[in-house]
Amino acid sequence: MDPVIRLSKVTVRYRNNGRGFLTAVAGVDLSVMPEEFVSIVGKSGCGKTTLLKVIAGLIRPDEGEVFLNGHAFNGSKKKIGVMFQSPLLLPWRTILKNILLPIEILGENPEDYVERALMLIERTGLKGFENSYPWELSGGMQQRAALCRALIHKPLLLLLDEPFSSLDAITREEMWILLESVFLYEKYTTVLVTHDIREAVLLSDRVIVMSGKPGKIKAEVKIPFSRPRSLDLQYTKEFNEYVAEIKNMLGE
Amino acid sequence: MGSSSRAKSVTLGIAAILTILATWEILAHLLRVPKYVLPPPSSIVETTLKYFSYLSANLLDTLFHALVGLSLAASFSLILSLPLAYSETLRDAINPLIAGFNAIPRAALVPLLALWFGLGGVPKVLTAFLIAFYPILVPTLTAMVTIERELWEMLTSFGATKGQVLVKVAIPRSMPYFLSSLHMGLTSALVGTVIAEMIASDRGLGYVILSSTSRLDTSLAFSCLMLLALTTFILSKTISIIEKRVVKWAYRAST
Repeated sequence: MDPVIRLSKVTVRYRNNGRGFLTAVAGVDLSVMPEEFVSIVGKSGCGKTTLLKVIAGLIRPDEGEVFLNGHAFNGSKKKIGVMFQSPLLLPWRTILKNILLPIEILGENPEDYVERALMLIERTGLKGFENSYPWELSGGMQQRAALCRALIHKPLLLLLDEPFSSLDAITREEMWILLESVFLYEKYTTVLVTHDIREAVLLSDRVIVMSGKPGKIKAEVKIPFSRPRSLDLQYTKEFNEYVAEIKNMLGE
Repeated sequence: MGSSSRAKSVTLGIAAILTILATWEILAHLLRVPKYVLPPPSSIVETTLKYFSYLSANLLDTLFHALVGLSLAASFSLILSLPLAYSETLRDAINPLIAGFNAIPRAALVPLLALWFGLGGVPKVLTAFLIAFYPILVPTLTAMVTIERELWEMLTSFGATKGQVLVKVAIPRSMPYFLSSLHMGLTSALVGTVIAEMIASDRGLGYVILSSTSRLDTSLAFSCLMLLALTTFILSKTISIIEKRVVKWAYRAST
C-alpha cells in the first residue's frame, strides 16, 4: 500500500530579516498511510506548523520532495481538507453555504453536495442551524461547522492545525469524541498538529515528536488502543504512560 | 439599541438643535446683528418659504448632478478595484498615479473642465466624480486586499485560484466598506457639484449661494446651506438603511 503523503528529506528555510536564513524544518522524512491518524507534537516554534503547510502544499520545500498519492505536488485542485485554530467561516454565508464553499472552489455543483452537507451537519450536532449565520453560533459550534467544511469533499487528506486549542476544556473533549464518531462512518487519512499531548494520544495511531531549531523528527510513538476510543481512556494507566513518555521526549 | 433609548436619543438630538436655533434667534435680535451679516433663523425660514419653488428647482439640479457624479464614482471605484485587488504589480503601478491625482485640489480643475466641456452639467458631474471616487476606492480596495492569512491558506490548500478568492471572499468582504464609503462619497460629490456651480454654472444651489451673497441676500445663502445639509442628512440615512439591509452580517456585533 502506498502512503497518501510522503515527505522525503524536506528542508524549509525562512529569510531571517536579512541576516541569512533560519532553518525551520531540516531533512524530515515522513509517510502517512491511508486511513492513518498521525499527530505531530512539539513545542511552539519547533516547525510543526511549517511541516503541515508543506504537506498542504502551501510552502514549497527548499530541499526534498513531497508526494501526494505517489505524485509530486503540482499546485492544481487538491482533495485536501483543512481546519485551523480559528473556524474561518465567512460571516456573509449561512452555515450550509460555508460548508459548501470547497465544492464551489473545486468547480463542482454545490447542489449535488447539499444532501451530504446536511448529513455532516446532523452528525456533528448542528441540525437546525444550517441556515444560521456563523456569528449566531458559539465557538464550539463554529468549529463543528469548520469540520463539516473540511470533510464535505471527502478529502484524500485531512489536515488539522491546533483545531481545538481555542476551545474550553469541556468543548475540546466533546470535539475529540465528535471527531472519533465521525471517523467511525468515514475513514480519513489525517495529520493533526497540536501541543496537547493528551489530545494526540487519544486520537492518533502514531504520534510524531518534533524537536526545534532546526525542526527535526525526534521520535515516533505508536498508539495501539482499539477504536472507537472514549474519553475514559484518559484515565487508564497505559494512556498516561504514553503521555508521560512523550512529555519526557519533549522535555529533554 | 432598544426602541425607548433610541427615541430618547432622537428627542435629545432635536432638543439640542432647537436650543441652538432659539439662542441664535435671541442673540441676533438682542445684539442687533445686521441681516446681511447673520440672518436669524426666522428670516431664513421666511426666505426659504418665499423662494421655495426657485430653491427646490435649483436643489434638484444640484442633487441630480451630484448623484450622477456619485454613481459614476461608485461604479468606477468598484470596477477599478477588481484588477487592482487581483494584481499586486498593477497596484504598485497605479497607486502613485491615483495618490498623485488625489493630491491635486480638484476645485482648481473646474475652470479647465469648463474650458473643455463648456458651462453646465458636464463639469458639475465631473467635479463631483473626481472628488468622490478616491474616498470610495481606497477603503473598498483595502478591504479586498487584507484577507486574513489563514483564510487565504485554507482556500489555497484546496486549490483556489486568485480569481476565486477575489469572487468568493474579497468582493463580499469589501461590500460593507464600499457601502460605508458612499457616505463620504456623497458629501464629496455634493461639495464637488456646489464648487463647480460657483465657478462654472448659472444653475444649482452653488450658483444661488454665490449670486445671493454678492447681492448681500445672506438669508437666501443660508436657505441653500440648510437645504443642502438637510438633503445630505436624508440621503446619508437612506444609505445607512441600505447598508443594514444588504450587509446585515457586518453589523453582527450590534444585533
